[in-house]
Amino acid sequence: MAAKKAARKSLNLAPVLDLNEANALHGQLMGLRGNALVIDASAVERVGALCVQVLMAGAKSWEEDKQSFTFAKVSDAFTKTTQLIGVNIDHLMAKEI
Amino acid sequence: MDMNEIKEIFFQECEEQLAELESGLLRLNDGDRDPETVNAVFRAVHSIKGGAGAFGLDDLVSFAHVFETTLDCVRSNKLEPTQEVLKVMLKSADVLADLTNVARDGGSVDQARSAQLIRELEALAKGEAPPAASASEPVAPKAAVAKPAAVAKAAPVEPVVNEHGFAPVAFSFDDFGGDEDDAVGDLPAYDIVFKPKSELYTKGNEATLLLRDLSRLGEMSIHCNMDSLPPLDQMDPETAYFSWKVSIKTDKGEDAIRSVFEFAEWDCELDVTAVETGEASDAATDDLPMQPVPFDLSALDGDLDVPLGVVEEEEQIAAAQEAAAETASNVVQMAGNASRAAASEKSVAAAAAQNNAQQASSAAAPTIRVDLDRVDRLINLVGELVINQAMLSQSVIENDSNGVSSINMGLEELQQLTREIQDSVMAIRAQPVKPVFQRMARTVREIADITGKSVRLVTEGENTEVDKTVIDKLAEPLTHMIRNAVDHGLEMPEKRLAAGKSAEGTVKLTAKHRSGRIVIELSDDGAGINREKVRQKAIDNDLIAADANLSDEEIDNLIFHAGFSTADKVSDLSGRGVGMDVVKRSIQALGGRINISSKPGHGSVFTMSLPLTLAVLDGMVVTVAGQTLVVPLTAIVETLQPDAAAIHSFGATQRLISIRNSFCPLVDVGRILNFRATQANPVEGVALLVESEGGGQRALMVDAIQGQRQVVIKSLEANYTHVPGIAAATILGDGRVALILDVDAVVSASRGQSLQLESSLAAVG
Repeated sequence: MAAKKAARKSLNLAPVLDLNEANALHGQLMGLRGNALVIDASAVERVGALCVQVLMAGAKSWEEDKQSFTFAKVSDAFTKTTQLIGVNIDHLMAKEI
Repeated sequence: MDMNEIKEIFFQECEEQLAELESGLLRLNDGDRDPETVNAVFRAVHSIKGGAGAFGLDDLVSFAHVFETTLDCVRSNKLEPTQEVLKVMLKSADVLADLTNVARDGGSVDQARSAQLIRELEALAKGEAPPAASASEPVAPKAAVAKPAAVAKAAPVEPVVNEHGFAPVAFSFDDFGGDEDDAVGDLPAYDIVFKPKSELYTKGNEATLLLRDLSRLGEMSIHCNMDSLPPLDQMDPETAYFSWKVSIKTDKGEDAIRSVFEFAEWDCELDVTAVETGEASDAATDDLPMQPVPFDLSALDGDLDVPLGVVEEEEQIAAAQEAAAETASNVVQMAGNASRAAASEKSVAAAAAQNNAQQASSAAAPTIRVDLDRVDRLINLVGELVINQAMLSQSVIENDSNGVSSINMGLEELQQLTREIQDSVMAIRAQPVKPVFQRMARTVREIADITGKSVRLVTEGENTEVDKTVIDKLAEPLTHMIRNAVDHGLEMPEKRLAAGKSAEGTVKLTAKHRSGRIVIELSDDGAGINREKVRQKAIDNDLIAADANLSDEEIDNLIFHAGFSTADKVSDLSGRGVGMDVVKRSIQALGGRINISSKPGHGSVFTMSLPLTLAVLDGMVVTVAGQTLVVPLTAIVETLQPDAAAIHSFGATQRLISIRNSFCPLVDVGRILNFRATQANPVEGVALLVESEGGGQRALMVDAIQGQRQVVIKSLEANYTHVPGIAAATILGDGRVALILDVDAVVSASRGQSLQLESSLAAVG
């Protein structure tokens, strides 16, 4: 039950990640610090720049922590938005094991 | 929060924008050439257009659009804001206000007038601009966008755009037909640097949507600059860190690019530079890792592949509707801050500019919108607190024989605190008279137009504050007076010139605080009151006897009599004879007074003095037949102790008192109110000389004066029922209810009219 420290955690992103969600997402990520993180973005229908900022800041922090920060699954909308705004997440995509 | 409430907020904001617009135009009219003023004016119209677009208010959008286009010419120095230009613009502001009102309350506008103004505005935009291509530029491309916008309004209702292709869209095919055939490489290229500020997001705008719209213009590659993005723990999730550098090849022109950012332009740094074809993307990609953006963005915008412009507008609406549901809880949270609520609602572009304008103008003093009911409830409670505190003081004084005790000191502090709280709460309701004054500007313009006179309205002290209720009730009498001043007061230009005055007449409206009241003065530099004519008219109307000997002042005051009008012919404007007496009654109903002074050949001055609030009242507490009454201080001219020699009997029951060689009817308040059966002996009491509605003076007889104090007004009608001769009630320090005398009703009753039938013109609402 109780997750071990440095355990692998996962985060399922909400379908709508608009301006109002940035704070919540930030809070969620802060609570997951210190753990390897797998993000499931398959349900995302809409994502705004603020939430992408939070995710990218997360990636930065995880890198500093030397923990893995990967996107397991991403929706089409998520991919297209990140492409549109010139944010490359290819290096964060989970590799098939 | 449903759509209607959000719409209501939009209209409230429109009112603010319209006020901003008008004051800006008036400043320009006065010779202010500050670019910020022009910007403020432009922003106001732009915001109204944006919001109206989100709600599908087509008429408003199309008019605002033409207006905005012309203003843009002024902004870009293509059009000099001369008096003539501003005249058209001021009229356009009026029409915009009308259109807003119609959109809110229904009804119809004068279509001919707005069509005429649209033509004038368009002519201005064209006529004054440099010749050839650039001359039509500000009009033509924007007009092309405007029409599809109108179509887009219909789109959500009847989404058949696809089936009909471009057919319903009434703009030139040249704009985008055949473009795809051209080699993309040959298209003009632009480098765009787009740095959103945090406000862009707080106002509900979304950078991704702007970039998506941008990507629709052509082939685009993008670089996102994340250098300023801090690690997670140091970041503020609502701050803008990302900025973008975009290279785009498009034949739509720089204007099209800028129009993508139209609603966000105040909240971002935007730099668009045209680059030599061929070099553009190369130069950009050289130093930055540019990511090509796929043109297929279907996953982002649904499957409607409608032309540019339509998509943009349609999405605004769709987003507005969608967001209504999605951000509902969020909106509720922010309801206190209405402008933000509106912003999140019209989540695409619409509200941004609105807020921009608002914030730009009111950045220094953040405000919140509060329901008036809540404030009233607070005021009521504070009133109770004041009464309670007074009662507490009184009972302590009664039970404390030592005189000075720590309790007394504490009570004194409490008294000070409650007084301060009361003042602060009253200040919440206080509002500057500016909005009312601004409305008068329009009245002046319209009447000047109709009468063919040239009038200039000068306002002073617009920021003088007064209670909201007073402001609301002030507009009507003021409008009437302004009409009178222009219609009757000012002469025709030829006449003015003949009299050695400038052709343009001046009407001056000033407000100031004077000894706890607000004094509003309306003066004109017209011919002044024609006393001969007034006198003759009064005689004709049987108001005065033909041989009456009246002072100049008395003659002037005749115009306040019911059924009095000196206009030779009855016009739509004034002269129906219901003018000034109605004005006087409205002012008196507010607990105010009105005076006139006129100088033949030099004009007239109307002076109104009004209480700052209708919630408290300065009163004289008096005793009448064992009862405590409060007489509004405003009504009292003087108090005196009658001398037996000054009392004269008149007829069977009437008595007169002689004051400085004139006689004034003596009214026994106790008798009139049926507090006692017989008349009291005047010598034993005190006489209060009061002035009432008709202008006549009466000496009210009371038994004794207890003192003077500020009392909290409690409505009798709301708590009990109307009592003839009584305006309202209050609660005194000893907990007893004291009635506030309705001086006008008592005076009328003393004229022989029954008090019971008297419909009281209460001094208090």
